[in-house]
Amino acid sequence: MQVDIRKRLDSDKSLNFDLDVTFSAAAGITILFGPSGSGKTTTLRAIAGIITPDEGRIRIGEQSYFDSAAGIDLSIQERRVGYVFQDYALFPHLTAEQNVMYGSKARTDALKGEEGRAMLALFKIEHVRHRYPQNMSGGEQQRIALARALASDPAIVLLDEPLSAVDFETRSGLLDEIAAAQGRVGIPFIYVTHNTAEAVRLGTQAVVLDRGKVRTTGPPSEVFVTNS
Amino acid sequence: MIWEPLKLSLLVVAMATLIIATVGLALGVLLAKGRFRGQEVLAAFFTLPLVLPPTVTGYYLIVLLGRHGLLGEPIYNITGWTIAFTWQAAVIAATVLALPLMVLSARAAIEGVNPQYEIASYTLGKRPLETFFRITLPLARRGILAGVVLSFTRALGEFGATFMLAGNIPGRTQTMPLAIYEAVISGEDKRAQVLALVLTGISVAAVYLTSKLTKGALRY
Repeated sequence: MQVDIRKRLDSDKSLNFDLDVTFSAAAGITILFGPSGSGKTTTLRAIAGIITPDEGRIRIGEQSYFDSAAGIDLSIQERRVGYVFQDYALFPHLTAEQNVMYGSKARTDALKGEEGRAMLALFKIEHVRHRYPQNMSGGEQQRIALARALASDPAIVLLDEPLSAVDFETRSGLLDEIAAAQGRVGIPFIYVTHNTAEAVRLGTQAVVLDRGKVRTTGPPSEVFVTNS
Repeated sequence: MIWEPLKLSLLVVAMATLIIATVGLALGVLLAKGRFRGQEVLAAFFTLPLVLPPTVTGYYLIVLLGRHGLLGEPIYNITGWTIAFTWQAAVIAATVLALPLMVLSARAAIEGVNPQYEIASYTLGKRPLETFFRITLPLARRGILAGVVLSFTRALGEFGATFMLAGNIPGRTQTMPLAIYEAVISGEDKRAQVLALVLTGISVAAVYLTSKLTKGALRY
């Protein structure tokens, strides 16, 4: 995938600079790294189509999501992004299973049920199947969010600091599961974090952002060794 | 002796609540989700009956719907029928007076749903309409139900505008609040007492229901 976008952000009080981000991501997990307020989440939201850049291009594979010169701007729904939000945004009135299957494209209820059970088993969350999000641990909510994103058959998965709400002991296991999920589906993952340990452990490449600009790109082991 | 006004009040309030629930919800959605010129003017217009004296609203309703009213006159000329002094007029008065409570509650309830949930639904491929019915509406339902109950109680207590537009005809337009007024001025203390107690009972039950709906156990 390729991202090459610019957006003026002067109306946004939390970010007092303009976004100007260019990077490409191959298969695997691309880490978007940078301090708070460096434009990581804004970049993810632009890829997902939640906000519209002023100009530039976003392409996933052969598909053009956004191209200001060609007048292309696909809707959020058409982009098929699996988005794991920082606070997960699990639907509070739906059970774990209903959350996971919300975006499923399975035709019949029987197929949906089968797919749902398989998904829950894959992420080891069968035991919370009928529970509501507020009755789950942070780790369980995180797994539901990832399962929900993957069950909608996405072309790319965007994860916005998915472990920030999870306690330290649970993190390691979840990192392995995210890596395993990426390996299974083979589509690109973009993973936003400001934690170097997560970046080095998970990333196939890293893109370092600072004040809305790309500072460095490269394999995490190199990028973060020279940085620290 | 209280059956006539009770029956009439329940009929009028049932009809009014039905109209308020649908029209008020639609207006609440429009005001919460719409971005159009004159939006706040429209909001203010539908809030007006809440702050105007009911007799003033009643006066405007006569100007609009009375036999010589802006709409009432052409209706009378075509059909030979006028809404003034009918039970339908009591429904109109109760509807107009109680509608603001529903519009305000529904708008606040829908605006109170975290937009993150709607965005999450979009990323999962769902269009705005499906998102509204599967995410926004269920998450706003407590506030919407509270609005229905509040407007029900307001419609039940409607007096001023009803008196103006529908009059006070026993068996035809004399609802409970009007019957209480009549009983008091004609010295029928016993009748006034019973009517007041029944009306209080219904209102207390409704308020209790509202607090249960809005503060009830959070299970979704």
